[in-house]
Amino acid sequence: MSHRKIDVDKFDDEDAFVDENATAQGSTAVSAQTEADVDARATEVRNYLSRGDTGAAVVKALENPPAGREVTTVKDKNTATVMAALAAAKSGDILNIVKSLDSKQVDILMKYIYRGMASPELYNSAVLLAWHEKATEVAGLGSIVRVLTDRRTV
Amino acid sequence: MSSPEVFQLAIGTPITCHAFNKDRTQVAVSPNNNDVEIYQKGKTGGWELLHTLAKHDKLVTSIDWAPNTNRLVTCSQDRNAYVWDWDASQSKWEPNLCLLRINRAATFVQWSPKENKFAVASGARLISVCYFEEENNWWVSKHIKKPIRSTITSVAWHPDNILLAAGSTDMKARVFSAYIKGVDSPKAYPLWGEKFPFNTLCGEFGSEGGGWVHSVAFSPSGDYVAWASHDSTIMIAHGRDNPAIQIPFGGLPLVSLIFASETSIVGVGHDCTPFLFVLRGQQWEVIGKLDQGTKKAASSSSAFKMFQQMDSRAQQQNPEVELNTTHQNTITCVRPYAGTPENVTKFSTSGVDGKLVIWDLLASGMAGLKI
Amino acid sequence: MKRTACCDVLQLQAQPAIPPFSSSTIIRQAPTPPPTTEKNDPPAPTRSHGPRTRTHIMSNTLRPYLSAVRSTVTAALCLENFSSQVVERHNKPEIEARATPEVLLTPVTISRNENERVLIEASVNSIRVSISIKQADEIERILCHKFTRFLMMRAENFFILRRKPVPGYDISFLITNTHTETMYKHKLVDFVIQFMEEVDKEISEMKLCLNARARIVAESFLQQF
Repeated sequence: MSHRKIDVDKFDDEDAFVDENATAQGSTAVSAQTEADVDARATEVRNYLSRGDTGAAVVKALENPPAGREVTTVKDKNTATVMAALAAAKSGDILNIVKSLDSKQVDILMKYIYRGMASPELYNSAVLLAWHEKATEVAGLGSIVRVLTDRRTV
Repeated sequence: MSSPEVFQLAIGTPITCHAFNKDRTQVAVSPNNNDVEIYQKGKTGGWELLHTLAKHDKLVTSIDWAPNTNRLVTCSQDRNAYVWDWDASQSKWEPNLCLLRINRAATFVQWSPKENKFAVASGARLISVCYFEEENNWWVSKHIKKPIRSTITSVAWHPDNILLAAGSTDMKARVFSAYIKGVDSPKAYPLWGEKFPFNTLCGEFGSEGGGWVHSVAFSPSGDYVAWASHDSTIMIAHGRDNPAIQIPFGGLPLVSLIFASETSIVGVGHDCTPFLFVLRGQQWEVIGKLDQGTKKAASSSSAFKMFQQMDSRAQQQNPEVELNTTHQNTITCVRPYAGTPENVTKFSTSGVDGKLVIWDLLASGMAGLKI
Repeated sequence: MKRTACCDVLQLQAQPAIPPFSSSTIIRQAPTPPPTTEKNDPPAPTRSHGPRTRTHIMSNTLRPYLSAVRSTVTAALCLENFSSQVVERHNKPEIEARATPEVLLTPVTISRNENERVLIEASVNSIRVSISIKQADEIERILCHKFTRFLMMRAENFFILRRKPVPGYDISFLITNTHTETMYKHKLVDFVIQFMEEVDKEISEMKLCLNARARIVAESFLQQF
């Protein structure tokens, strides 16, 4: 009876909405380049952290995130980098770091906060909740709305 | 600062949309059901129910009142639109069905500036541009279809009666030509392209963040088109080829916006207060909320309790039922009320809380500018 | 044991968080309930339920956890009336119908730890809030199951409660544009937050009752010997 469950509209409807971010058509060349970028960024963030410059580490980690249809393993790797930077910040410094970011960076930060909270077994939620509080304080609910609407998931 | 005029037209029922007549003595609203109600301004300043237009059989989604021809057009989720003519001899509104030829809900309707056409947005992923055919004595329509990929939420006419902007839930705002032979005379718009046969796409804009488009508007000159999208952003495009400017802000998304002048925009939405955006120099800026809200006197119950509330359940304000803004819920519709298109001095809003509010832009805007 | 559980549940239900529906009462912009009752009066940090190592960390994260849920639900509760694009003349909660991909938003999770999570899925005319309630041991698991089952069987009294939780969660709410039109939006948010609080408290109280009762039963049983 499987034919009964076929969505016939899908074959008929050429004007249907297509989400460019969900379709897997990213070429491998792009992916290789992004992967190299992600690795390089991870190293740089680690350097900043070892020097104790958390603010710079956070800014660096939020740069040019792999998103949308990029390969999941690459995205996971970058998430780990961002989480390392976020976890390194002292709770007293969070507000100042968030304030130093521009609105685009806060939106990316917000995306990663939600990304981190989606896997509580890997990342410490208490830290992320503290970041979430400060990010909402600085950027308002608009920033959360933009996480919800943005289809380029990290 | 003069406070806004507030009228609680519907109690406990949202006002889906509203439209005033030319001299602002009557207002048509839909109280979130199948009817359209027309209120007359009473001598005491309140509004009295005059007529109920019951013809639609599903939720009325949009109303527009043509100022000069004094015609109403309404559309509804029952897939129909009616043009209502005032019959003075019988003193009642006479409905005329329009042939929209759509098979999903009609979501938005607007008269063209010359009032000889109107555009109906729909969930059938097309726009019906309707015009009157003399020989048949009937409103007929032509469809704008490609390349719309989802429900159209809102349309706006260019002041010259030919171009039409449309926003839809496929995250795009588009500008089309709605030129109809025999009704319009050709015009040139160097900003928006070379030739304008019907259904020409004269611009397609999306934001990188996504978010469906709630509302579109043309500036009084027709050079700029602005739209509000669900990612708490308004976007402004200047012609077909220039990149659109993106203005994100910290509040909740806007659902309706108007140009108050060539350089200022008023938007309303889920934040229960109008927002003002102004072009300063070359830069569009968020000026802020036009409704600063009245500070309620702190309730005399113990401060201990308040802090305890804040601590235990992350409650920001004291647990009172009412918000301190004029509107108590989402504002769904904003329209110019007084002034010219180039310089709107007052505007009206209606919302889910059943209120119709008339705001003095100058008074509340100046208050906003100071802050 | 069953009776104890039910008694407490009934107590909670006796103070309905949203006025019980009846067709004669017209609930329009109805003020949701007085948010405080004497039940809430004891000071907040009643979180410590016995000697668990992470307890004090957890009570520290309760406030940011709830405030994150509050702001996210507020941001997601921007709903409008949206007629179905797929079925003519229908109006369905898009988050349940899932027939129109463009009107769905990215789902987000807020977590306090591995056991306590909230999933918020938003769409153009409806949102779904699913809560995973803390269950530290077998007793809490049973109590939680009974408690949520009891509520969900009476979902019509709670308006926004979904009859079945989303897989992986214990209880789900479905809020549509009709709810935001008839009730204050900020009060709906308050209700969800209040529910999250109460349910924890309720379960730990039930557990204490249960343990006390078990002790009494055991004592009187052993008195025979």
